[in-house]
Amino acid sequence: MRLFLFAIGGTGSRVLKSLIMLSAAGVRPVDENGQPVPNVEIVPVIIDPHKSNEDLKRTEALLTQYRMLRQRLYGNRLNAEGFFATRFVTLREIMSDSSIQLNDTFIFNLGAVEREKFRDFIGYDTMNEANQALTSLLFADYQLENKMNIGFVGSPNIGSVALNEIKDSDEFKAFANVFNAGDRIFFISSIFGGTGAAGFPIMVKNIRQAANLDINNRDVLRRAPIGGLTVLPYFNIEHNEDRRIDKADFIVKTQSALYYYKDTLTGANDSNLNTIFYVGDQEVSKPYVYDPGEHGQRNRAHLVELVGALAPLKFAGLPISKLSDPDGFPLPTSAYEFALDKDERNVNFLTLRAATRRLVYEPLVKFHLFFLYLRTGFSCMIGQGFTEDSPKIKRDFLASQFHRTLSEDFMRAYAEWLAEMHDNNRSVNLFAMGETDMNRAITGVTTRRSLLWNKSVDNNVFKAEMNRLSRDSNYGDHSAEFKLLDLFNRAATRIIADRYENIN
Amino acid sequence: MKRNLIFLIAGILVTIVFFLMREDAYNALYYSSGFNDQLWNLGLYETATLITIGMAWGAAAIYYYAINSVRFDRWWHWLAVLAVVALLTPIVSYLVISHAFSDAGLDYQLETFSFELGNVVWSALLFVVASFSMRWWSSNCRHTPIPQ
Repeated sequence: MRLFLFAIGGTGSRVLKSLIMLSAAGVRPVDENGQPVPNVEIVPVIIDPHKSNEDLKRTEALLTQYRMLRQRLYGNRLNAEGFFATRFVTLREIMSDSSIQLNDTFIFNLGAVEREKFRDFIGYDTMNEANQALTSLLFADYQLENKMNIGFVGSPNIGSVALNEIKDSDEFKAFANVFNAGDRIFFISSIFGGTGAAGFPIMVKNIRQAANLDINNRDVLRRAPIGGLTVLPYFNIEHNEDRRIDKADFIVKTQSALYYYKDTLTGANDSNLNTIFYVGDQEVSKPYVYDPGEHGQRNRAHLVELVGALAPLKFAGLPISKLSDPDGFPLPTSAYEFALDKDERNVNFLTLRAATRRLVYEPLVKFHLFFLYLRTGFSCMIGQGFTEDSPKIKRDFLASQFHRTLSEDFMRAYAEWLAEMHDNNRSVNLFAMGETDMNRAITGVTTRRSLLWNKSVDNNVFKAEMNRLSRDSNYGDHSAEFKLLDLFNRAATRIIADRYENIN
Repeated sequence: MKRNLIFLIAGILVTIVFFLMREDAYNALYYSSGFNDQLWNLGLYETATLITIGMAWGAAAIYYYAINSVRFDRWWHWLAVLAVVALLTPIVSYLVISHAFSDAGLDYQLETFSFELGNVVWSALLFVVASFSMRWWSSNCRHTPIPQ
């Protein structure tokens, strides 16, 4: 199953970043019995005219790194287990129609939208006087003057006009070409801004009304299971005299948009959208720097984004019977919300409800231990133990592109992501920040007690377990990269079960 | 796996050959007619050989399977064990042989000492043989002293 994941606007990119981190840790969609859903491939498509948005750039860089790392680990294999298990591909990578020219990127090319002022885009100057007057009623002066390469600056009324162009784009045609029965579509967007709030309903409308468009697979698209994550207000911004974006407007905009969604997407008998996930937080985040877009918009990662990233995974794991009727037509909307087990400002694994913890605890702990191991232990172990088994991990491995991308680029971004969530409000304290001692790395979780003292976890414990596993395995047909990550993943499974308290 | 078994079998064969040719082996490094005759008469060649084999194989087994530690898996750790074996085996052997001579009313202390100097070499060699016979299945030290 392919999950086409449209991440719209700044929030879309930030939630996608959290999804990449979860996927890197090995969190995968699971079915109702908790078993991983096989053959899932995610096709992320970022829709945001604000190309210089720092959050978008960070997410795109992570996607590129993830794709390279996964390719080195598993090649084109669809099903994998462990770190970087889920496959992320671009539209270009999976399309076979050579008549459509697409860049090999995760970013949707919005063409003219990215280059023009809104007034030029709608041809304001060529309108007659009456139409100009009507347009001036619908759009404020600053909106008409808005250069859309910085996004829609919290103005969904601009976005709803500009993004309607998407249906005529090559990307949309390519998407329609590769969409098959059994595939699913998911949207990530915020409801209180401009790009996401406008882009989400437009995209759903265009897919459901595919019969009217000149694209392939119209019937399949019309019946496609569609889910969406609607992110409600969750962050605060610094006060600024320029009030194009104002926190005070967030709730009003949300209310209006929810009413609109109710009429067009999520009404009781409406089957445009099969599943909607709502997530937000009334707890006020630390204020972000006021930046409508001119300075790149780089916002701290937030718990809501991490929680939001679970939504597409949940959607991918839903049985088809909850999305379509026996004739294959979409069922009316079901709505999901998320709740913490305890309403606390410091969130750790024990604050999450059991179902969430079961999904994320072990993969995230494994990945964090791997992060610590790469930083503090791995390079000293080259030339010893499992590294000497075939395929050998030699010292030049440290200079390889794989290792540099993993331990320098990706892990730096991981540390940054953790630190940003930690420094935000609510503060995400899954792991003790800056702590390199594996015994104390997981907040709220200690190592098990043996007869006299607590069991310890350190690099040598991992080395011993990886040595044992390597001796008993045959990695002859795999790469050194795969061997390292697979051994660590398997060793961590056992060490977590044997040496840490069980909180699941 | 096949290669590892070949190493083990070869090691066992070398050890058996050493046991069978024990007199020639020891005499090659030290020979004193009266002393060596008494070793033969009292069956002490066999005793010394069994001690040497037992200590070399025993030390290798302890290193690779009892200690078997990631903190003790470098070539210099193995070399330290070899040094201990090469020193301890002649000492044990010396004490046993001296005791046997003493029970027989004989005094060959100086000769026994010289004989055991030769045994330093044999115990070290047998430790190497034992190491290369059994290290392959150790989880942490199979690449010690040199990688496979």
